[in-house]
Amino acid sequence: MAGVRRCFEEIEVGEEYESPGRTVTETDIVLFAGLSGDYNVLHTDAEFMKTSIFGERIAHGLLGLAVQSGLFSRATQAYATVAFVGLRWKFKAPIKIGDTVRLRARVSAKQDDGKPDRGLVTVQRSLVNQRGEVVQEGETDLLVEKRGQP
Amino acid sequence: MSTPATYFEDVAAGDVEVTPALTLTEAHAALYRGLAGENADEPGLIPELLPLGLITGLGWRLSRPPLAVLAFMSVEWKMERPLRVGDTIHCRMRVAIKRSLREGGVVIQDQEVIDQDGEVAQRGRFTFLVAKRAAEPARAGAGRSIQGGHTT
Repeated sequence: MAGVRRCFEEIEVGEEYESPGRTVTETDIVLFAGLSGDYNVLHTDAEFMKTSIFGERIAHGLLGLAVQSGLFSRATQAYATVAFVGLRWKFKAPIKIGDTVRLRARVSAKQDDGKPDRGLVTVQRSLVNQRGEVVQEGETDLLVEKRGQP
Repeated sequence: MSTPATYFEDVAAGDVEVTPALTLTEAHAALYRGLAGENADEPGLIPELLPLGLITGLGWRLSRPPLAVLAFMSVEWKMERPLRVGDTIHCRMRVAIKRSLREGGVVIQDQEVIDQDGEVAQRGRFTFLVAKRAAEPARAGAGRSIQGGHTT
């Protein structure tokens, strides 16, 4: 299966995937703050966050988005993706240090605009924590290669 | 003493801000892929979700204090053209909608990620819940408000 990427024609609406879990660590948050430059107290000030409704530091929403993207690649055989072109996403609950999240995904739509080499695949995704709560969810639009002409 | 922040009252629909620029490097891409757990599709390509994080950081470098974000609620995004290592991006942010709630208010920002040629590479909307100035409690025992934030 390694190296074999699934083409537009092979992907079916209704396919479902579930990823392994991933525990989000303090290190993930520190690295994401450093990479993005987003040093919001929500993610970086443990003492201040003790006084907040969250009670502790929480992960950047966009870190959760990055984590789900990696989990998607571990949930199913790779698509022959040409480009990631669209996203509609909701941040529903915080991810705290030590939370373990996994991705549940379902192919919700396919759209063929008649282009010879590619089509659009929409995947509905939910990022779920260890208590089964949906922390983030939304849809992603991927342009996927069609089968090569013989 | 409270942390300087831009509150709901300080924001008006139609406000436009332009961030400083940032050159995208292989290090940005490699760090992001390591953190996300993504494989490299093609050398030199910037992972599509990386600019979202980078522009939130660029937003922190505006001359005004960071937006007093209580929660990042949602994002709608379109990737219009690929970004590559060596491209230099900045972000143009415009307040599209502002709606007051009992506690805080919703601010919807239109964002454009613009490259060195002035072309929009990505665009979309961020929806934030932002604290009101009036609702700002003292830091000790505040319990609710988060100041000095830009995004969750």
